[in-house]
Amino acid sequence: MAARVKSPLGDRFLRAAIGLILLGICAAVLVPLLNLLALSLSDTRRVSELSGLDVWPKGFSLIVYKVLAANQYFIRSILNSVFITAVGTAINLGITSMAAYALTRPSLPGRRFFMLVVILIMVFEPGIVPEYLVMKRVGLLGSLWILILYKTVNVYYLIILMRFFEDVPLSLIDAARVDGAGHWTIFRRVMLPLSKSAIATLGLFYGVMHWNEYFRASIYINEPSKYPLQVILRQFVVLDDTSALIGAGTLYSYDEAARLSYAALRAGTIIVAIIPVLMLYPLILKYYTRGVMEGGLKE
Amino acid sequence: MSAGATLSKRLRGDAFLYVLLTPALIYFLVFHILPMAGMSIAFEDFKLFGKSRFVGLKHFVILFSSPGFLIVLINTLILSTMKIILFFPLPLAFALMVNELRSMVLRRFVQSVAYLPHFLSWVVIAGVWIAFLSPTTGGANQILGMAGQKPVDFMTSKDHIRWVLFFSETWRSIGWDSIIYLAALMRISPSLYESADMDGATALQKMRFITLPELVPTMVTVFILNLGFFMNAGFDQVYNMMNDSVISKIDILDTFVYRIGLVNMQYSFSTAASLFKGVIGLALILSTHRMAKRVTGKGLW
Repeated sequence: MAARVKSPLGDRFLRAAIGLILLGICAAVLVPLLNLLALSLSDTRRVSELSGLDVWPKGFSLIVYKVLAANQYFIRSILNSVFITAVGTAINLGITSMAAYALTRPSLPGRRFFMLVVILIMVFEPGIVPEYLVMKRVGLLGSLWILILYKTVNVYYLIILMRFFEDVPLSLIDAARVDGAGHWTIFRRVMLPLSKSAIATLGLFYGVMHWNEYFRASIYINEPSKYPLQVILRQFVVLDDTSALIGAGTLYSYDEAARLSYAALRAGTIIVAIIPVLMLYPLILKYYTRGVMEGGLKE
Repeated sequence: MSAGATLSKRLRGDAFLYVLLTPALIYFLVFHILPMAGMSIAFEDFKLFGKSRFVGLKHFVILFSSPGFLIVLINTLILSTMKIILFFPLPLAFALMVNELRSMVLRRFVQSVAYLPHFLSWVVIAGVWIAFLSPTTGGANQILGMAGQKPVDFMTSKDHIRWVLFFSETWRSIGWDSIIYLAALMRISPSLYESADMDGATALQKMRFITLPELVPTMVTVFILNLGFFMNAGFDQVYNMMNDSVISKIDILDTFVYRIGLVNMQYSFSTAASLFKGVIGLALILSTHRMAKRVTGKGLW
């Protein structure tokens, strides 16, 4: 290490300017989000005082969340999303890691052909109509399973995992084989434990992908009781269709609710959709960012 | 002993690998290969019930001669240019700035905040931006108001909507897309900076003569690979930010395919447009992959 030289004055100005710009970017990311949080938590009588730049609620009220929690479609949609995310991610990880193991065995007959299929899928998208017609034919239309299965194996994630498996030292595998282990034992006892952080990372990415899925749900599912949260959110926040969310019955069971603004309800819905991502976010930062910085995950 | 292990014992050797691979193959077949094969309806007058008739290139002729398609194609190219070429330097600049931060706490904070929007769905982002750009209560117009400007309804303004897409894409991706540069920065040898310090180089000189040249291979890779996805101008974003007032400015190939296919149910016509997009996209990705491999030795796979 060289001795720490005092930076020139110009450098210190530059760094101060850079620090301010970066904090400005952070504010641009955070203020619109915090403003919605503040809007959803403000007292209904004082909500009109809240400016679009405020990040602190005016007064305090949980009425928005009470109204949302009393809405059966809303609660149902959260349960649907949780189900799709949990089951979907488990299936994703199982099938992706088994395929990655098989595809990284040099002894797999037909390996080159299977890799060509993977690359073909990566570079050519058939478009939504042919996919829709196949889904109709195999009878998956209208079922939550379509949302669980439609991205069972993300080919990019598959390739990332394959690179991890390729990096596992051959000597470890050979040692296991000498001890009489078959492929299943090697996969379970050698590969998976050695790739824990990669699998955790992919699990988080798959999880976020399922939680955020709205498009296929909106074209393949037509029963409101099966909608995931993002579809309800889209109807309410983007399309401004309040009927999906607000049954008159639930609204008037609260005195305060009569004064409730749609803007505050919308804000609350958005916040609820963000919360699970925020809960996973520290783990994402831990696993993914560390993986990238250590050069383990290749972009 | 688990069922898997028993099966693995019974199927001697490598045959068991097919057991592991089969679920993925079934998925590929049903969700990717069959739809690809189903694209043949682009050459038919497809009927859900009854017999479809082969019509050759009819749908392509209609597609290429319809004025609506030309607008969609131009919009796709404009939005892609904004998001790939105009946006390209921003994550790089972001990474260079983060790299100058000396406080690890600040550094971690800036990164944690800036990566976050990447994990929000476009439905959520559209909701956040619609609220923030609202002409009556939105923060953006309050800033304009402080500067003495009249409020603008950005989401329905033909003059502004493409910039709304550009800035919301920047908001979502500037941090996340900088990760690849930050990872490359970690690999630059500290001794280069130490000797520059000895020579009394300023921060700007170090950035110009050490950091930037070291990042060139990464920049080239990112740029070339992004070009491969030029035909994807961002379906989810446009789909969630589009409304009737601005459709002529931001309707892109993917939203067009969706609308004529699943809304108007012109299955064959829509698939013809998908096939057109798919073939161009394929050619772009394959050529950019080869280019990237030749220039930097690293391709898409």
